[in-house]
Amino acid sequence: MMKKMIFKQTSFFVAFLLSVGIYAQTVSGVVTSEDGPLPGATVQVKGTSIGVSTDFDGNFTIQADATDVLMVSFVGFSSQEIAVGDQDQITVTLIADNELEEVVVTGYGSQKQKEITSAVVQVTAEEFNKGPINNAAQLLQGKVAGLSIYNKGGNPNASATIRLRGLSTVGANISPLVVVDGVVGASLDNVDPNDIESINVLKDGSAAAIYGSRGSSGVIIVTTKGGKSGEMQLSYNGQLSSSSILNRIDVMTPEEFRAAGGSDLGGETDWTEAVTRNAISQIHNISASGGFGNTTYRISANLREKEGIVINTGFEQFNSRANISTRALNDKLKVDFNASFTQRQSSFGNDLVLKYATLFNPTAPVYTEGSEYFPGSSGDAIGGYFETFGLFDSFNPVSIAEQHDLTGERTELNYNLSLGYDLTDDLDIQFRAARQTSVNQNRNYVPVTALLGGNALSPTRRGSASFNDNRFEFKLYEIFGNYNITSDGFNMNLTGGYSFQQDNFQNKGFSLGDFPDDSQDYSFNIDASQDLLNAGFIGANSYRGPDNKIIAFFGRVNVVIDEAIYLNASVRREGSTKLGEGNKWGTFPAFGIGADLNKYLGTDFDLFKVRLGYGETGSLPGPTGLSQVVYNFGYDSGGTGNTSQARAANPDLKWESKAETNLGVEFGNGKLSGSLDLYTRDISDFILETKVDVATYGFDRRYENSGKINTQGLELNLNYQLTDSYETGINLSTYNTTLEEYVIEEGDIRANLGSPGQNATNMLLVRPGEMIGQIWAPRFDGVDADGAPIFGDINGDGQVVASQDKWNDPDADFETAGNGIPTLELGWSNNLNLGNWSVNAFFRGAFGHSLINTFRAFYEPRLASQSSYNFVNTDLALPELTVAQFSSLYVEKADFFKLDNLTVAYNFDIAQGSLINSAQLSANVQNAFVITNYTGIDPEPALVDGGTNVAGFSPVDVLAPGVDRRTNYFTARTITVGLNINF
Amino acid sequence: MKNFNKIFFGTLSIFAFVIACTDLEEELVSDFTEQLTVPGVNVDLGETDGSSQAVQDQIGSAFEKLRDGTAGHNNYWSIQTVSSDEMQVGQKGGDWFDGGIWLDMHRHEYTAANGPLTNTWNTQYNAISEINSNLAKSGLTANEVAQLKVLRAFFYWRLMDVFGNVKIVTSVGSDAPQSSRADVFAFVESEILAALGVSAITADMDLTNSDLTTNPKKYRINQYAAVGLLSRIYLNAEVYSGTARYAEAATAAGWVIDNGPYELTTEGNSSVTNLAQRPGVATDPDTLVGYPAMFAPNNQDNVELIWTVPFDSFKGGGMNFHMMGLHQPSQFAFNFDSQPWNGYQTLEAFYNSYDDGDVRKKSNFLVGQQYSYSGLPLSDWAADDFNPDGTKHLPLNYTPEINELAPNSIRQSGARMYKFSHSQFERNEKSNDFPILRLSEMYMNRAEGLARAAGDWSLALTDVNIIRERAKVSAYSSITADEFLAEKGREFYQESHRRTDLNRFGKYNDAWFEKSASASYKTLMPIPTDAIIASGGSLTQNPGY
Repeated sequence: MMKKMIFKQTSFFVAFLLSVGIYAQTVSGVVTSEDGPLPGATVQVKGTSIGVSTDFDGNFTIQADATDVLMVSFVGFSSQEIAVGDQDQITVTLIADNELEEVVVTGYGSQKQKEITSAVVQVTAEEFNKGPINNAAQLLQGKVAGLSIYNKGGNPNASATIRLRGLSTVGANISPLVVVDGVVGASLDNVDPNDIESINVLKDGSAAAIYGSRGSSGVIIVTTKGGKSGEMQLSYNGQLSSSSILNRIDVMTPEEFRAAGGSDLGGETDWTEAVTRNAISQIHNISASGGFGNTTYRISANLREKEGIVINTGFEQFNSRANISTRALNDKLKVDFNASFTQRQSSFGNDLVLKYATLFNPTAPVYTEGSEYFPGSSGDAIGGYFETFGLFDSFNPVSIAEQHDLTGERTELNYNLSLGYDLTDDLDIQFRAARQTSVNQNRNYVPVTALLGGNALSPTRRGSASFNDNRFEFKLYEIFGNYNITSDGFNMNLTGGYSFQQDNFQNKGFSLGDFPDDSQDYSFNIDASQDLLNAGFIGANSYRGPDNKIIAFFGRVNVVIDEAIYLNASVRREGSTKLGEGNKWGTFPAFGIGADLNKYLGTDFDLFKVRLGYGETGSLPGPTGLSQVVYNFGYDSGGTGNTSQARAANPDLKWESKAETNLGVEFGNGKLSGSLDLYTRDISDFILETKVDVATYGFDRRYENSGKINTQGLELNLNYQLTDSYETGINLSTYNTTLEEYVIEEGDIRANLGSPGQNATNMLLVRPGEMIGQIWAPRFDGVDADGAPIFGDINGDGQVVASQDKWNDPDADFETAGNGIPTLELGWSNNLNLGNWSVNAFFRGAFGHSLINTFRAFYEPRLASQSSYNFVNTDLALPELTVAQFSSLYVEKADFFKLDNLTVAYNFDIAQGSLINSAQLSANVQNAFVITNYTGIDPEPALVDGGTNVAGFSPVDVLAPGVDRRTNYFTARTITVGLNINF
Repeated sequence: MKNFNKIFFGTLSIFAFVIACTDLEEELVSDFTEQLTVPGVNVDLGETDGSSQAVQDQIGSAFEKLRDGTAGHNNYWSIQTVSSDEMQVGQKGGDWFDGGIWLDMHRHEYTAANGPLTNTWNTQYNAISEINSNLAKSGLTANEVAQLKVLRAFFYWRLMDVFGNVKIVTSVGSDAPQSSRADVFAFVESEILAALGVSAITADMDLTNSDLTTNPKKYRINQYAAVGLLSRIYLNAEVYSGTARYAEAATAAGWVIDNGPYELTTEGNSSVTNLAQRPGVATDPDTLVGYPAMFAPNNQDNVELIWTVPFDSFKGGGMNFHMMGLHQPSQFAFNFDSQPWNGYQTLEAFYNSYDDGDVRKKSNFLVGQQYSYSGLPLSDWAADDFNPDGTKHLPLNYTPEINELAPNSIRQSGARMYKFSHSQFERNEKSNDFPILRLSEMYMNRAEGLARAAGDWSLALTDVNIIRERAKVSAYSSITADEFLAEKGREFYQESHRRTDLNRFGKYNDAWFEKSASASYKTLMPIPTDAIIASGGSLTQNPGY
């Protein structure tokens, strides 16, 4: 169905191709630069497909009419257009396109690269990660020092965790703000990676300050490809990939299991293999861009079908984008219109499949053939799968993967319109309006034959269906103006404006069950549910959030003195509906200064710049209504409906504010270039749900401004052109975060290990004056004669005080077993160009972090009561340990170094004048190999606790990094073959 | 000039636009920002529906708070039960270690960081805050105000009984200094007496001035509930305030017995359908009569119950005894929605304190081989106990003998709590109404009050023998304090009385199974660390901790 649509659209585009007339007149000439003739420059007749290249001496000859315009271009130089007129001999001198004159998009405008006083990194399309990328964030993984992007396990349906310079807040807004084509708050999920021209990352406070609170964790500015004037260019990208499982947990084989005394059920099953597969995926992308007169356009369509390596998981996504730009009113009015439409159908799969694939008895068969587990009944009632009835928390993972149906459909429509009017040469005014609508429809169907969740053995009520729909809407209106003042040695640019954003969320959910049989999917026939006769079993709920508004007035001034000193100052006055009365507005200033040291030190490097910036931004809480008194409503036993207090209100809730200072040096000369950034940031009054006095407030927690965090870090980026064909670059970052002040001065301990048997076991220490991310555990010193762990006497007082409730005791024998936050993150890229071949190898690593391997903590001890479950059997397993208790034994260093991305590409030689302009065939491997000592599935850091981050609506604990939970997806190695053709 | 006009009008329009759009009022659309009460329609949901005992009034949200922690896990009921000699939650290999909190609770080694104790503290204060919020409503009747105050006094009684020295907070958002246990006792007593409209409890007191009524509906507080509550509080007065009030305890209990419309449950006056009946098990009766009927899922109208907490599978969750006490294969005996958690085991000595013919022994516990819905014997495939020949002992057989507390308590060991019996196809929340006060306690309180006031336990014999007769055991001809305590324990098993009773008899610190004698300061629980820190210094810890 999808594919038919693509084909139709393609033919439609092709039909657009304009036919060209050919005139017979010869024009010749020479193309030069200030250094001499330019061989290999391109000379084209504008609006046609006629084009030639200059020869060794820069000469060219071309067929063109007197009314034609010639376009002359060469890489690294500014293109020029020349009307043919009555000339038959044309000389064109091209001017070098100095990189430093390059323009970088910043907040509400753009600046020349050299004038920027803050830490901004640009990543162009050539530098993006290659291969099948499912989420635009992956393009940047490892490319920008300080930008950490992790997708633990690589679940195709999960969003990556994105952090810029570590912790920037503990409440909401923990990810950087994404701005797509000027529209704040767009999601990277609806931009297809093939449509992205470049990404600018605004790393420090002074750059992001003008974006206000939403930019508090940094800003990622995405610029999509626009049209170029001239004849239409058509481009096709296709990729076909195969993914297979890269790493899994070591468990016992059936032989080892029998030898260890496990319950032998007679079969042999590798459960992880039974629930995973070799996943085949494909991506197709077509785009057309061009322009006529004052109008340029680019239209693209993408189709991606991705299978996950766990069976019955994956998604299918269609995305289409249109960018149109035009000028009117004497070229003074510029109109830009962008629209994008995305529809994704996902098969989520049940997370428990991963846990049971590790745990289930390896001697159990997948399908039932009769055993003592089925006295007097056949396995038909449970779909023919083997199940271990009556065993706690033991379910056949294949049964869950094949029978449970968790699907969702997401539809997103974004459009924005930008109008810019040049009032005078120096003054222009811009107006921008944007809208984004995102609708999710989720469905979960469990048939009557599913034991887990479907109650397959119940005589009365089996099967269940639940639905959940939600809708998110966002509007943005902005109006701002730019004014330029130029005079001798002095250049000033003023910007000022107003911004209004509003978002709104609503959802509804519905669940019922008790279906007749397994003959059809009853979630499409819910009137057959017997729960309709017994309404108490039906669950129904809906919710609509308030309109969240952010209103801001902002202003900025950029001054360039002597072409070598750059000054920048901005202020943003911002207000939000989420805070208490009297605290709604905040003022956030920023300023920066930079200097081109070449001028003042008399050196002659290509680039030598130093800059210093300072900026303040505010941050908001996640939930709404926190400053207001709110009640819950329910019906009591008598049928009376009444309200009860829902939570303790905090009418004094105010802005959380982050102040950051950044010192940077940029250097470039010949083959070597790079930059160094040092920064310190203070987050004051961070908003967190903190413990309060229950006697006064009625609840033991309340959202409060709770303390202060400080982060200090360093980022280094180096690029070296070793030879003409080989370029290598490295970027690394290091930071540490300290909790300076906290309302609970005695400290707190977070992140519960969980069931079975390890509740009330908290693992992450939060103490004022100390680093964040410390894993707090007793020290494992060995196993005693009874199989119980021996804990070390850390303070040497002759006593071992290691029970969980003593974690804060002055005599306690607890220590920091590791830290969940990496000390060093690095990315190393290598580009090799040999003729038509290019090889690109990108390595990535993180060092110094630890992970709590929860799979081992629960299932590695040889508990006698666990003989019907498989044991985790890594190299660190101790067969004599028969008691499960959390300690440093389960905290492992997770340093890793991996070949993240390897691409080999061949560029075909295409004759001039043929239909195809360029073509490239590539082969790519993602996750080729990982070097690590970690015994878990994925050594990537876990920066937050709470599972995958779903659009900010699931509460994740930012103060508890380092916990590797049992529901992380398997990692995969993917091999891709790709084809790119430009017409 | 042209430029100037453009700029001027442009700016003007911007201003106009902007001033209109600086409104930051947060309008909550689907949250309730004001209190609301809506009279409802009673819909009969079948056998377990308690609408017969419900009252339509404005204070429902306060009474709903009784469901938190009263009959569920990890809160008040758990700490009252596990710290006593009724039950343990043994560490069963990899299950139930939970940072050692249940082992500590059993051995009386709890500290101020203990999670269930913190939950208990938070739940009582959360309920008190909701009551205070209700008291601030306009338009309440005098009866509603009186009921709220007695309910609040009940929660303060719990705090005083468990933690001793707590803050008395009487309005939302306000703080108070820490009061001594004796002061809290005086507060609780005065609130209840004020609601009763009298200055003291006497045998011939006249309650016509009371704002409380004699309405027999069990989900609200009537005069009998208030007086009955006072009898319990007076009985413990020596522990709380240092001054004994035993005579008044007996008077109050006697008043309820003589004036209330309640009767002891007997086989003659209580019969309900047996909702746990398994078609394949011939010995499952069709109806439950007498004592077991009082605690069944359909017990809402039982004649003995004075004040109950209305639990309901759909409308009122909070009671999870079936999940807490049974082993996983028992799911197939009752067709539960979910697998039980296999936590609580009755201590062997407590189980053996019942005579074999005691009606309560049969109805309070599940022991022996368990059978499924269709009568097949259930097996435990993860069994960790062995036959003499070394093979695994697979049949699911709850044994009263428990091998140890930790680290490998056998998963089938310990008689399982069954007083609040189950139903077939029961959901995760149970529907049995939980008695806060019932008539049997009045008999026992009168007996004990008379005995202690006079210093002569023979004065307790009449009432104790009434209870023993109902339980079909032989009457005592003489009784000691220890025997009285044991009888009280047998009667009120699983009703969260045991810790309080052990305290009063001075037995709480004794040694019992897997527990050595504990220090005397342990009779008072530590005030949770979180509460002390959050109080900013206005709370000091109890002595010894």
